[in-house]
Amino acid sequence: MVITFLQRLLWLVALVAAQMMVFNYIHLFGYATPLPYVFLLLIFPLNSSRWSILLWGFVCGLLCDFVSLTPGLGAASMTLTAFLQPLLLKAMAPKDSLEDMQASYSTLGLWGYVRYAGILTLVFMLTYFLLMSFSFFHIVDLAIAFASSWALTLILCMAIESVRSSKKKEREN
Amino acid sequence: MRALLEFLAKYYHWMIFIVLEVVSLVLLFQFNHYQQSLWLTAVTESVSRVHNAEAGVLRYLTLGRVNEELTRRNLILEYNLQQATRQIDLLSHDSTGTERLQADRMEGIDLIHAKVVTNSVMRRDNLITIDAGQVDGVRPEMGVVCGTGLVGIVFLTSDHFSIVLPLLNSRSHISCRLRGSEYFGHLTWDGGSALFAQLDDIPRHARFNIGDIVETSGFSSVFPPGLFVGKVEAIGNSDDGLSYKLRVHLATDFTSLQDVYVVAQQFQPEVHRLEQQADSLIKQ
Repeated sequence: MVITFLQRLLWLVALVAAQMMVFNYIHLFGYATPLPYVFLLLIFPLNSSRWSILLWGFVCGLLCDFVSLTPGLGAASMTLTAFLQPLLLKAMAPKDSLEDMQASYSTLGLWGYVRYAGILTLVFMLTYFLLMSFSFFHIVDLAIAFASSWALTLILCMAIESVRSSKKKEREN
Repeated sequence: MRALLEFLAKYYHWMIFIVLEVVSLVLLFQFNHYQQSLWLTAVTESVSRVHNAEAGVLRYLTLGRVNEELTRRNLILEYNLQQATRQIDLLSHDSTGTERLQADRMEGIDLIHAKVVTNSVMRRDNLITIDAGQVDGVRPEMGVVCGTGLVGIVFLTSDHFSIVLPLLNSRSHISCRLRGSEYFGHLTWDGGSALFAQLDDIPRHARFNIGDIVETSGFSSVFPPGLFVGKVEAIGNSDDGLSYKLRVHLATDFTSLQDVYVVAQQFQPEVHRLEQQADSLIKQ
């Protein structure tokens, strides 16, 4: 229990720090800004209590907001994504999954994980960009920024998951 | 209480979600100027739309009162027009003292507003009930008009209601004349369409045309002279062939009658009393 908490705390600190020091400065082609701190929500197992996911998501979003000077923006998006994460994981998990099943390439398969991560990051990025722009006035620019940021975030999340999976395998071996 | 606790235990994550979202959105709109300004703009516009809709509903709901006021105003203007026309006629012609006196007597008319409670146009002897009675100053034999023309004469009164004998009643006889001439007759209704009545006893030597205006003659204490009644629709002969019988297109739409005014003339009780005394003397 305490170890799980500390692991999540470590992930939280690492993701917020990476966002603050690295990803906030990336504006690929002037449009794409990755927000991979949503990865924190992808690692919650199937039997996690919903209130804890919501709180972790909210706190993570809030911390990133403070370092990005966008109060409330990330917190609102992360809270909504955290609310949907258990429902999505339950819907996509194989029927014979263990109670503490965690989403990964090995449990969901490559395509299954891409769909899982794709949908959650999509929800997060869509909420984030809609709240940020708050209008459809520059809809083309908005669509380009959203799509490119989403793609970049998804790629980064999959890359982080690859690293996490490989490390996990090394520990198990 | 137990059911409430069970409900809270089952759906507590919904409440946490809502609370966290509200906190996030408060932060968003409180500390981000762009979102704050857009939010305020959206809220202002929404509130304005709601207020506009509310004002529309209120306007609609007060239409009855507006209509009532317009009817009253229309009646007053119509009366003032008649008065002004009469004054012009008196001043432009070689008027006599008697005519001036008659014009002066037309002043001092009090209008008592009433709503039509029941109304019928399908029967041979129609009656109208209005929601003004003796308490409001209504007395039998008083005239009743609406914004467009004549309605009838008060027949019976109680404290708060009155029965009106409208033009659309076989027992109704109202003295009328053709505007611009002194030829007068009696307006009656013999059933049929509620749009038309007959003006009897117009002498054979009278000159008039279809479309001429029919107005009250003022030869009774019921109506002041010059109130618009209708227009001549067709010309025919009376049954005995000694006079004309005109078909009059009534100005009053009895099928949609709502607001009426009882004409309370200042000298009506006095005139009525005199007429009664005269009748009793003749009978003796």
